[in-house]
Amino acid sequence: MILSAEDLHKHYGEFCALGGVSFQVYEGEFISIIGPNGAGKTTLINVLTGLLKPNQGRVFFKEMEITGIGPERLSRLGLARSFQLVNIFPNFTVLEFLMVAIVSRLGKVKNFFSSLLRDQEVTEEALVVAKLFGLDEKRDMLTKNLPQGDKKMLDVASAFALHPEVILLDEPTSGVSTSDKNKIMETLVSASKKIGIKSIIQVEHDMDIVFSYSDRIIALHQGKILADGAPEKIEKDEEVVCTVVGQKECFKIFRAVLNREN
Amino acid sequence: MRNRREVTALKSFRIVSLVVGGLFLLGLPLWTSQFISYLMLTFFAYAITVIGFNLLFGYTGLLSFGHALFMAVGAYTAAFLTSKFSFHYMEIILVVAVIVASLLAALIGAICVRYIKIYFAMLTLAFGMLFYTFLLKFYYLTGGDEGMRVLRPYLLGFNFSEIPKMQFLTGSYYLYTFALLAVLTFVMWKIVSSPLGLCLKAIRDNPEKAEYLGVSVRKYRWFAFVISGAYAAIGGALLAPAIGQVDPGLTYWTHSGTLVFMTLLGGFENFLGPLIGGVVYIFLQDKVMSLTQYWRFIFGGILAFIVIAAPGGIAGMISSLVRRRKS
Amino acid sequence: MIETILNILFSGVFNASTLFLVAAGLQVVFGVQKVFNLACGTFYALGAYVGITVVKSLVAGGFPTPLFIVPLIMAGLLLGFIGPIFERGLIKFVYDRDETFQLLLTFAMVMMIEDIIKFIWGTSPQTMGGIDLVYGQLNILGATIPVYNLIVIGCSFGMAILIGYILLNTKFGRTIRAAADKREMSEALGINMTWIYVKVFTLGTILGTLGGALVIPAGAAVSEMGVELIVLAFAVVVIGGLGSMKGAFVGALVVGVLKSIAISTYPELEMLTIYIIVIVVLVIKPQGLFGGGRV
Repeated sequence: MILSAEDLHKHYGEFCALGGVSFQVYEGEFISIIGPNGAGKTTLINVLTGLLKPNQGRVFFKEMEITGIGPERLSRLGLARSFQLVNIFPNFTVLEFLMVAIVSRLGKVKNFFSSLLRDQEVTEEALVVAKLFGLDEKRDMLTKNLPQGDKKMLDVASAFALHPEVILLDEPTSGVSTSDKNKIMETLVSASKKIGIKSIIQVEHDMDIVFSYSDRIIALHQGKILADGAPEKIEKDEEVVCTVVGQKECFKIFRAVLNREN
Repeated sequence: MRNRREVTALKSFRIVSLVVGGLFLLGLPLWTSQFISYLMLTFFAYAITVIGFNLLFGYTGLLSFGHALFMAVGAYTAAFLTSKFSFHYMEIILVVAVIVASLLAALIGAICVRYIKIYFAMLTLAFGMLFYTFLLKFYYLTGGDEGMRVLRPYLLGFNFSEIPKMQFLTGSYYLYTFALLAVLTFVMWKIVSSPLGLCLKAIRDNPEKAEYLGVSVRKYRWFAFVISGAYAAIGGALLAPAIGQVDPGLTYWTHSGTLVFMTLLGGFENFLGPLIGGVVYIFLQDKVMSLTQYWRFIFGGILAFIVIAAPGGIAGMISSLVRRRKS
Repeated sequence: MIETILNILFSGVFNASTLFLVAAGLQVVFGVQKVFNLACGTFYALGAYVGITVVKSLVAGGFPTPLFIVPLIMAGLLLGFIGPIFERGLIKFVYDRDETFQLLLTFAMVMMIEDIIKFIWGTSPQTMGGIDLVYGQLNILGATIPVYNLIVIGCSFGMAILIGYILLNTKFGRTIRAAADKREMSEALGINMTWIYVKVFTLGTILGTLGGALVIPAGAAVSEMGVELIVLAFAVVVIGGLGSMKGAFVGALVVGVLKSIAISTYPELEMLTIYIIVIVVLVIKPQGLFGGGRV
């Protein structure tokens, strides 16, 4: 077991965002967290990555308690995340952006006077990551000038550049056209393999993506886990499908299920 | 995008112009009046201070409205050692100033870097004014509002007391200060080009994302604070013998405002911007002061103009002109 | 013994009254526009200088001395209407910028207005020549308090209640509070933010100039008064909490009384104590006693 959440509760005044969420993540799993808006998905990610302290409950990473330790210590331990709304350094070039992650991973900051530009190791590592995500051609472009999709990719790539063991992706394909979504997912999966990421947890709304790539699906609704299991199990669970997924998707999935069973 | 040849051409142009500029400044006392050389000397001291200040402001994104505190620490150290202890070795004075300022900056910084923006500005202003009241009220120690005299230091062990004051200041002291400016500017260049510099810029642009990438936001802000405090102390210690008298006004919040003004005027987004701002400010102030006693009004107007219309300062205006000519 | 305490208390509350007005002006502008107006102290100085000129010339022209407080207050109030000049002429350009740039713009305003004051009134201190004693003094339990001071305290208190009433019970007040709380939402609801900003800034300026006008009969107008006051006003809003009116009230009382205590016991420590308290408050509870929001 690599990551586990134990009875997480989080409220904002009267509003309960998480009402007792528990689950475990094992090495090698690709997990999708689904749920309608307001179900608590982003809050869950924020709590898992230590940005928020839960009112109750604990989070464990490889037997170590990491509840609320904060993003910086978390990234050193081997957990990284990407953001739903693009979170970037607008004035950095693509290469510089990735170098931030590399520099902190390799612990290079201690040497105040070492020249970054001449540092082969850092530059090469950054290029490797850039290539994995198809950004190496644009390495000297300023982040703020990149197209929206590339900005998103860069945000994700920088998290990958930390060589984490577990990565949490908050809606990695949101804001991207449907035809590009698969390309992005393929990039993510192959990059994870090359870098050696052990487990991926993503929050995702697109059900095609969710059902195609996940080993396991966790359905969240109003701050509680509605269901937790393999895609085959989830798609047959009427309550989950209709509550979490919505009526339109309902029919799509049932139709797919029916087609498959025939 | 630029190709390799363009990049190296630009780099050589930059280095050549720096060397030419440096030689020009070096030889300045030979072909200008003593007064202009003296102004340049004060600029060197302020230049060191604002180069350090911009590490905090331009590169880390923290506006300190109390930075003159560290300049005053350096200045008072020089005054103290020369007049109260008759100790004149400049190199030791500088080292002591750096140590005292760094310790103070470490303490104050540890408190202040937990806050950002307005709160950081307010906290640093408060510390600056706290030091002001201390300097003012403990007059048996500090000379109160009359301040303390600064006696002529020995440079590299040499005693120059035989030479008339202006000749010393525009001669050996000028070269000494210029040399320090050159060295310290080079050191700062190394710092901002280092991994630490990259992390500071990341902290400035997006502290949340920086944290997620493993950057220790508070720790590095603290580093920047201490380094910039040390630089300010060196600047202050070098300024003191030039002005001959130190007084609590050196740490009044409006003096901190002057440091910010210089940095903004020259351009905080450019490495050499603060230097440009410093020299323009000092010479412009001298010129305007000779024309009218209401120079603050004019400078206030300049600052307002910069904040509203030209936040990148002079350096910013130059680079956007260059960019426009290219396209 | 009791007289000393009462003297300290009353002069403390008197200090607090004028401090409250300036701090309230600072708070309301920060609360709505999120601009920390360093020039509030300079507006205070302006109010003082204009107050002196107006009253002196009226009295010299035969205006009955005991009524001096009327033109004084009027001058303080009307002067505040220069607010829109600065708001529309300068500040409006930086609303969408970083807070620190807005701060720097108000710093530029300080530089400019200070020199305007110097140009018009010169650098030597100006007073009203003790005109505040026209109302005589009261003797309460052995402590002597000028009646003028009591009038000022009363005025300030009245302003505090008036402001509180406006904020809580009028449409304008509700609009201000909504704008302070959620700017985009207010805009979406059709509230004209531009007009609100002008009005709020004017209100802030009026409070500043009024404070300066009211305090001046009891003291002297000196060229540093604006720059010195901002430091005190800033102490008030830190202690009370940025953006909070209640905070301005409580903070002003704390700073005013502390200043008074320090002056009578250890004058050297006067500002020192205040700064230390500011730093302590900023460290322990940066939001101050009543403030909110992230730091």
